[in-house]
Amino acid sequence: MPSDKKFFSTTARPVGESWVWVTSMGLAVGLTMIVFLLGMIMRNGISVFWPKPVAQVTLVEGSQAGIRGAITLGGELVKTQTKRVAALDADGNPLPPGEEFQFFVGNKETYGFTFKYLDADQVAAKTFPADVVVAERLEYGRAIFTPISLRVGADRVIPVGDPSFASTLDSLIDAANARRVEIRHIERDLIGKINRGLEQNRLRVRAIEAKSSRTPADEAVLAEISASNAALQVEFETLAAEAKALRDLQVVDRLLAITPDGTDRDYAVGDLIEVTRPNDLSFGQKVGIFFHRFWSFLSDEPREANTEGGIFPAIFGTFVMTLIMSVAVTPFGVLAAIYLREYAKQGPFVRAVRIAVNNLAGVPSIVFGVFGLGFFVYMVGGTLDQLFFSLSLPTPTFGTGGVLWAGLTLALMTVPVVIVATEEALAAVSRGSREGSLACGASKWQTIQRIVLPASLPGILTGLILAMARGAGEVAPLMLVGVVKLAPTLPIDGLYPYVHLERKFMHLGFHIFDLGFQSPDSEAAKPMVFATTFLLILLVVCLNLGAILIRNHLRKKYKTATF
Amino acid sequence: MPAAKPKSSEIPARFQVAKRTLLMDRFMNQFIKIGGLSVIVAVFGIFLFILIQILPLFQGAKVEELKAVQLDRADYIAVGIDEWAEVPFALQANGTFVFTDLFGTRGTFAKTSDFVDTAGFGAAHYLQARQEVAIGTRDGRFSVVKLNYRPVFDADRNRTIDVALAPSPLYPIGPTGGTVQKIRYADAGQGNRKLAAALVEHEGKVGLHVTTLAQRRGLMGGGQIAVGDRHDLTPLIEGELEAVLAPTTADAVLVVTKSGEILYFFLGANGFELRQRFTPFSDLPDASLSLAEFIFGDVTLVAVSRTTGQMRGYSLYTKPHSGVREFGHTKTFETLPAASDVFAAGTRNKAFIVGGPNHGALMYSTTEATRWSTQTAFRPVQAVIGGKYDRMIFLDDDDVLHFYELKDPHPEASFKAFFGKLWYEGQPEPTFDWQSTGGSDDFEPKLSLVPLIIGSLKGTFYAMLFAVPIALLAAVYTSQFLRPSVKTIVKPTMEIMASLPSVVLGFLAALWLAPILDTRVPSILCLVLALPGSAVLFGWAWTKLPPRGRILIAPGNEFLVYIPVMFLVGYAAWSFGPVLEQIAFVVTDPATGSRTADFRLWWPTVTGTPYEQRNSMVVGFMMGFAVIPIIFTIAEDSLSNVPQALRSGSLALGASRWQTAFRIVLPTASAGIFSALMIGLGRAVGETMIVVMATGNTPIMEFNMFSGMRTLSANIAVELPEAPHHGTLYRTLFLGAMMLFLMTFAVNTLAEVLRQRLRDRYKTVE
Repeated sequence: MPSDKKFFSTTARPVGESWVWVTSMGLAVGLTMIVFLLGMIMRNGISVFWPKPVAQVTLVEGSQAGIRGAITLGGELVKTQTKRVAALDADGNPLPPGEEFQFFVGNKETYGFTFKYLDADQVAAKTFPADVVVAERLEYGRAIFTPISLRVGADRVIPVGDPSFASTLDSLIDAANARRVEIRHIERDLIGKINRGLEQNRLRVRAIEAKSSRTPADEAVLAEISASNAALQVEFETLAAEAKALRDLQVVDRLLAITPDGTDRDYAVGDLIEVTRPNDLSFGQKVGIFFHRFWSFLSDEPREANTEGGIFPAIFGTFVMTLIMSVAVTPFGVLAAIYLREYAKQGPFVRAVRIAVNNLAGVPSIVFGVFGLGFFVYMVGGTLDQLFFSLSLPTPTFGTGGVLWAGLTLALMTVPVVIVATEEALAAVSRGSREGSLACGASKWQTIQRIVLPASLPGILTGLILAMARGAGEVAPLMLVGVVKLAPTLPIDGLYPYVHLERKFMHLGFHIFDLGFQSPDSEAAKPMVFATTFLLILLVVCLNLGAILIRNHLRKKYKTATF
Repeated sequence: MPAAKPKSSEIPARFQVAKRTLLMDRFMNQFIKIGGLSVIVAVFGIFLFILIQILPLFQGAKVEELKAVQLDRADYIAVGIDEWAEVPFALQANGTFVFTDLFGTRGTFAKTSDFVDTAGFGAAHYLQARQEVAIGTRDGRFSVVKLNYRPVFDADRNRTIDVALAPSPLYPIGPTGGTVQKIRYADAGQGNRKLAAALVEHEGKVGLHVTTLAQRRGLMGGGQIAVGDRHDLTPLIEGELEAVLAPTTADAVLVVTKSGEILYFFLGANGFELRQRFTPFSDLPDASLSLAEFIFGDVTLVAVSRTTGQMRGYSLYTKPHSGVREFGHTKTFETLPAASDVFAAGTRNKAFIVGGPNHGALMYSTTEATRWSTQTAFRPVQAVIGGKYDRMIFLDDDDVLHFYELKDPHPEASFKAFFGKLWYEGQPEPTFDWQSTGGSDDFEPKLSLVPLIIGSLKGTFYAMLFAVPIALLAAVYTSQFLRPSVKTIVKPTMEIMASLPSVVLGFLAALWLAPILDTRVPSILCLVLALPGSAVLFGWAWTKLPPRGRILIAPGNEFLVYIPVMFLVGYAAWSFGPVLEQIAFVVTDPATGSRTADFRLWWPTVTGTPYEQRNSMVVGFMMGFAVIPIIFTIAEDSLSNVPQALRSGSLALGASRWQTAFRIVLPTASAGIFSALMIGLGRAVGETMIVVMATGNTPIMEFNMFSGMRTLSANIAVELPEAPHHGTLYRTLFLGAMMLFLMTFAVNTLAEVLRQRLRDRYKTVE
């Protein structure tokens, strides 16, 4: 039939197909954005640790583009880009924009800068000599040079051609690193202990001085304190002399070298942390260096206004804060959820409370920071100081930001997350299992304790993980309640009482903010920021993925039971 | 024991419950009830706590009379107070300073500055900030007496305030032998010009005379002071003189005539010239003034009408049309019960006291607010405010010194200050302005939250502009067209995006994205047009294919096919950007005539608004990353949860999948989508780190896409760490936090209620 033929025509088109394509664009753009962003962070974050080849650049004859007029320079090629400002020809008309290279040239103490832009047309030749050395140093960032000789002790000189040169240098650097660890131990742990003793003595003296009348016992205590102070002072001087002797040893051995632009340099071996020959590495060695650098990034302390070294204190601070947050948030969140789901009479009131709790999760984090500052730091902390630490006032002990207040503030911020997740998990426990338990004669609490809670444990865990992920990545409220750019001491250490919850702490997220925005040389800090970002993202994404996986698994498991 | 209760032995042992279990159960029931309730109460305590913190902002001043001291009957021409507000003085016309030790044992004691040859004093001017009194004699001279207050501690560490007088020599002013009726003294600081202006009566005529003092710069600070120029301004003035004023810059003199006109003389290179004459109450039949005085900073002048008690403020600012710095009417205060003639300005802020027949009031100039006002049982004739804005003193006509304690911690705060337009000193018009701290002592804190609210809305707007289309399109596609097996991968991937810490996004926005986008605005423009266009075109072309062609792309795989297309189109659009810039965004430099193709220059020339590298576009883009997954997840959920029966019915009736999605599913889920948008909005409003890092954080009042902003949240993050505890700024930032709290809470509640309603609607459909 003709009409039928038309009805089922093969040329007819479903309406609106091109709009379907527009919606597909939304998804494609969204997915690309996220994949691209994660990829970019990963690439930049990982490449920080990969040893890059160092180019020895020879400029064209007579070029003034080099460093201090030198015709050669050496550095790691950072990027190649089209020039922003086009050069002008003889008539003043702009030439087509050329290429320019950005080199990391290091040697900040010699040059005064670490990055150098070079026009492509100024470069005559680029070579990668095998003997170029990149040295990680205590100060001024990395150095790039070609070694000439090594002076060990007062008079032994090993030229670079000597077969024992490399091994001697390595063993000297190892020895210097070992000494540095020892100096640190003396200066921070041992002398730190003495300072603590002096501070405690000072407080005891103040306590006695604050009394209206002194007893003979007080006088005896004062005498004892001054004796103890004298003893500590002697101990301090011994240790300081010991540290000084070690420091002097650090500068005895010298490495003579020439920088790529032809300046002679004389480095103390004690200032070098690690030397590599990036142009003379096999792939395996590069991988080795990569992991070595990654490990020192994770385990070392920051140097040079955080732009060099590792981020261990930030990792540790984030960990301790998240731990405090979890310890605080779990019982309260679960308690509130059990009350709402199992005990409260379901009705409009509980419904309203539930909506409100849900919405609290959407309240900006900075508001919680404001509350934390006003309530925890100034009100609770200030009161604690008045009651227990009045001797050290006006220096606040708890009345200033600290890791405890930060943890509690974030706990408050994430409590809605835990409540909502726990409630969901409690609701998913089937009516049958509850009634079964009650029918067997179990009390209400026994039912909750033995049946409902174990069944909803994965759900509670999900909520906790989500809360931890949110807490670990949050920065804004922390800026108000105790995060600092550089904390000299960790919140947990070997000094009595071992856990110092009043201390300020470092945090991965704040580290990123600080490096990117408050460091003196943000270009030099960029690799560190990317590496830290990579680590933070890794942490947060892993936590979230874990939570999502658990949740999806749960949904499947309970699908039959609830819906 | 009641018989009803069966003995435990009657119950079979297997049904008996251990006492411990029962106790435990009872305990846990109570514990959970109390614990749960208290957690919920505690969480809402946040709201209460913040509210308590901001309440003092809206309270007026608390004033309490501490003491009244009867002084000897005499003619008092000035009162003053030391910076500890403990030993005020009153100056008699014979040159005796009468000090009152308010809290000590010294009672009232007098000190005289030794002027041997004067015929007494006609006028005095107390310079509180410098603790100096300029006094004019009845024989045409004046002196500046410095009061050296100094705390002294005795053996028991009790503090008393010691005072010594250090008078300067007598300098001539006006005709010799004239009586100084009014005097004003101005000192621009160490080594700078000093100036005395006085109304001097001589032979029945009152004239305005000015004497400048020059101080040589010595090695050890100030050197010798010598009389500089002497000016007689009387010929320049018509009308009878009433009062004179000299601002602390010592470069001008203002004179008030009996008819209520104020003449503003400026000291230029050629002596004094009349710069401006104005009549504050020119609209009244009798324009005469009972009072005209400067408040702290000497930029704003307060004038009170003699007849009506109306009070107005006139400020110096650069008039836009003439470019000259003149006085203009900027403030209108509450009308006083009677004409006031007593005045005292604070030396810490813009507060001042006015007093007249049986009334006294404390006003604040910036906000035009009356902080405190009272009916007094006495007639005040002199007044002074303590240097720390904590005490007030009135001297009445019975020579009783009334000493008040003043508690007004937040005078600059008011509803109008936070949300209204205020005319700040030195500005040509009333503005909404946020500038909490300034360089000088006489700085007026500008605490308007409006630019911050505008900033928050602006950031939110651009974030939503970018995020909403992408998130909604993606949600529609994912829920309606995407293959279910792919969906299990796509959804978590988008959710991962929600977990990206905002500090990371902020860092990327500022250090990575902003420099890239800086030169590439035309490319972005191309992308915005090209991507949807290419999708429509590609889809249209695809539908034109014969079925054999169409079958190659299975339904639900469109986005996979589109990704390579997107890359191609994206690359093309990106590269076309500079070409477009060459064509469309060319600026011609009027000076050299050279033509530059640069959007960054083109935008300010064409729109007149600035172009900044860290702008709203960058913020919007990065904040989009934070908002897209939220909107996507919730919208996708509500679209997916539309009952399957509806979709099946529609498809069975022959509607295409697009028709089903657009006409059936979308309207059904509209409430859920709206709630998704609301929750996304809430997130964007409160976002902090991205904005802190990716904008210049300048509080501005415009919606220009290529400039920055300062949001409420960023403002808190930037300023709260430095704000003094319980200060006005501290509480104002709490107010900002409260506004954020209320805004997001309201938006989220609306969204939640909508979602609940949607859930109910699905139930009825099923």
